[in-house]
Amino acid sequence: MNESPETANQKDKTKKLLLGLLVSNIVALSIIGLSNYLVSKILLDPEMDVGTTLVFSEFVIVPLIMGIISAWFWRDLGMKGKYYTGYSLINGLIVILLSYFFLSEGYICLIIVSPLVFGFVISGAFIGRAMFRKKNNTLNVSVFALLVFVFVTDSVSEHRYENMVSDTMVINAPTSEVWKHVVAYDRIKQENKYWLFKIGMPSPVQTTVDGFYEGAARKCIFSNGYVFDEKMVIYQPEKNLTFDITHQPKDPEIMGHIDILKGQFLLKDNGNGTTTLVGNSWYRLYVFPTWYYDIWAESITRNVHLRVMDHIKELSEHK
Amino acid sequence: MVNKLEFLRRVPLLPHLFDSWLRIWIFLSNPQLADCLDEIETEVSGWKGIKIQNHKYGGTEFSFNHKEIGHIHSNGLMDVLLNKTIKMQLLQEGRISNHHVFPNSGWISFYVKTKDDSEYALGLLKKSYAIRFERLSEE
Repeated sequence: MNESPETANQKDKTKKLLLGLLVSNIVALSIIGLSNYLVSKILLDPEMDVGTTLVFSEFVIVPLIMGIISAWFWRDLGMKGKYYTGYSLINGLIVILLSYFFLSEGYICLIIVSPLVFGFVISGAFIGRAMFRKKNNTLNVSVFALLVFVFVTDSVSEHRYENMVSDTMVINAPTSEVWKHVVAYDRIKQENKYWLFKIGMPSPVQTTVDGFYEGAARKCIFSNGYVFDEKMVIYQPEKNLTFDITHQPKDPEIMGHIDILKGQFLLKDNGNGTTTLVGNSWYRLYVFPTWYYDIWAESITRNVHLRVMDHIKELSEHK
Repeated sequence: MVNKLEFLRRVPLLPHLFDSWLRIWIFLSNPQLADCLDEIETEVSGWKGIKIQNHKYGGTEFSFNHKEIGHIHSNGLMDVLLNKTIKMQLLQEGRISNHHVFPNSGWISFYVKTKDDSEYALGLLKKSYAIRFERLSEE
């Protein structure tokens, strides 16, 4: 039985829509898998930890390529902008779900990465839509080649980014009282205020120490039971507590994305019975571009500080 | 606000990313506006000699004879290049405003929010198109 032209047309349209979603996701996963393999096994010293670094290209160029590929399949469908946006959102959602299952990313990470993925998949789709409208194959090949060149160059480049976050708080208690709660403190019972902690990101709950001297071990315990092992490298009572992070938990939310390197509490006697408490943390990022991820890293580190410092303030002021 | 963040426009791809976020926001919160913007694009694409491309600072750009006549950002903010005489007349009507970045130029800004606004926006683009078309004829 022959099908009507409308039915055949509809089937063809559906096929192209699905191909746009399917092929772009297959290409994206293949590019990421292949580049990680080539970079870590062939192009660079295998002992270097470059393979686990998620570079700028993986969050910018790959979603752009995905959008352009889908636009190539959708180029004859006469779709309006609203539909390009809608189908590109589905495309972004698929790649995020695939990352959850195949790249074992944590859901907090995926929430953080999703604005970038959705944004660039949509940007790619609209760039592709404009490109394929012009029917200029030389331009199209040039744009694609440029994107591949940027991807390869970025993937084999060394990425290193470290930053420090500092927060200050005035506590209505003398330094002697504040110091008691800086080195170690009892379990934090206050409700979380920060939205990422509320939706399940682990927050600090307690700190314990093996002794009150330089070189002693310290443990920072998080709400999900994970423990950061620390070593106190500067121990100047009522002035300075600096500790190195010697071991951090293998949590999928942080593993391969950020290393907390060092922490510090500085106390300053204000001469009026109050103390200025400064909390500093140093970290190294393994996810790029930093103009995007450092906003999150700073925000999370700041809220870890504030949760601990608020607790120290409460304990010190209600002795 | 726009002026303070102007330097960000020079970060490669950032304006496109920001415009895509606007697209998502409008798609989810105000799909009628997305329809209005699509209707403007469809209508203008039918005018002789008009080319549609991505604007360098995000959004959809309309150009005639390799010269831009206007563009619409994905939140409905439309910028159109007129001339100062027409701009002064339109300012008196009270629906348009000076360009949000270049207030002393011939550019104007207009927010498309409703179906009625999209009709007015088409009128503005038509004026700009007519100015360019006339100039080309004179050349």
